[in-house]
Amino acid sequence: MKRLGHSVWGFGLFLVALTAFGQGGTGTISGTVKDPVGGIVAGASIQATNASTGTVYKSTSSKAGAYTLADLSAGSYDVSLTLPGVAPFAVKNVAVTAGSTARVDINLKEGTQLSTLGEDPLAIAADLKRHHPPSGPTPRTSEGKPDLSGVWWSPRTVDPGKPEFLASAVAIARKRNEDNRKDSPQARCLPNAVTRIGPLYEFVQSKDYLVMISDDDSPGFHQIYLDGRPHPKEPDPLWYGHSIGHWEGDTLVVDRVNFEEQVWLDQDAHPHSDKLHVTERYRRVDLGHLETEVTVEDPGVLAKPWTMKRVSDLAPGEEIREFICAENNTDVEHLVGR
Amino acid sequence: MNKKNKAGFLSVAAIVLGLMVVTMPALAHHSFAAEFDATKPLTLAGIVTKLEWTNPHARFHVSVKDEGGATTTWDFELGSPNGLMRHGWSRNSLKPGDMVTVMGYPAKDGSKLVNARSVTLADGRKIFAGSPDDGPTQ
Repeated sequence: MKRLGHSVWGFGLFLVALTAFGQGGTGTISGTVKDPVGGIVAGASIQATNASTGTVYKSTSSKAGAYTLADLSAGSYDVSLTLPGVAPFAVKNVAVTAGSTARVDINLKEGTQLSTLGEDPLAIAADLKRHHPPSGPTPRTSEGKPDLSGVWWSPRTVDPGKPEFLASAVAIARKRNEDNRKDSPQARCLPNAVTRIGPLYEFVQSKDYLVMISDDDSPGFHQIYLDGRPHPKEPDPLWYGHSIGHWEGDTLVVDRVNFEEQVWLDQDAHPHSDKLHVTERYRRVDLGHLETEVTVEDPGVLAKPWTMKRVSDLAPGEEIREFICAENNTDVEHLVGR
Repeated sequence: MNKKNKAGFLSVAAIVLGLMVVTMPALAHHSFAAEFDATKPLTLAGIVTKLEWTNPHARFHVSVKDEGGATTTWDFELGSPNGLMRHGWSRNSLKPGDMVTVMGYPAKDGSKLVNARSVTLADGRKIFAGSPDDGPTQ
């Protein structure tokens, strides 16, 4: 009992000492946050990590873009901020001394994927703000099958998978990227990469076929036959491939083969071979969400099948506008490699 | 960029970060690096002479006067009308005769072509960034 009493007394003294140290030995880091073109960034989460203890402190920038990280124990701190669409900000070894304020103004830089107005971080954020997928049961056709029809937002990837590309495919992608992807089909108003969708797309479903329409691709639509026909016996290369679908319970399984040689496989500029086989498994889990599992098989470029998982939100009220890419494509003559 | 607009941006950003596993939406009709030089940002001011509300990119032309009084017309590239219209901008958001200050990145090939990243009207309003519906521009 006596021993316990000593312990409690000792712990109390320790707390007093800790509090005294806290009051006398803290400093502050403060500053403002600005975007790559000098605009104020409100609501950003700024983080400071004590270099010796690893303790993390957080602050949120105000409507004026100001932030304050107060009550920091004296020491050295790493200050960082990460936002989608801009380069991560990090500064190391910010010295905090007792009773003083260290100023760290955060001027964010463009991300590696520079993009023009309308496709920039603010535009992406404006799109994300419009995501309000409705709740409700999966709609069904008169035949009782799930109806995938509707306008959908570009899917978010929930599992990117682990593609194992063959060295020859890696070399081609590297060359294309070193050339700034100046020769991408899309830059010449030809269809996008096989695995790319969006920013908006629409499904129109009937009993015998499904049509996918994209809002920024040319021609931007392809048909998926649901009438039981097989793939053509003679290879007939197509930019969107030849697509047939069948139902496995409530999952629509789409089988795509016969891809045109020029089309790129993905946004990382990988090629494909004439053995490319894409399987898309669509499941509309409720009114507002469409899950898709995409499996890419191509022994000509991949060591083994590559499976990725995505989810799209329904985009009620959004409209697919036409995208006549060749209308005014003046960029081609200005595209340069390295 | 108005403050309300920014607050909107970041509230969304916070949600995005919360999800953690998010890939950026597919972007851009062509590679930025193939056409523009990210290391040479420049700012130009002048009078809008033409707006092209076309695909794959909306474009506007600005007559810029140099110190000697000579004028040069610059061609500024925006995103596609589809994306800009979804965010509330239109072919009437910018008109011939408007005074603008534009920050952007010039073409690598030396032509008078710039990727616009910030467009400011004479009254201080910034246009084509984010959504005008996020709040009154100022």
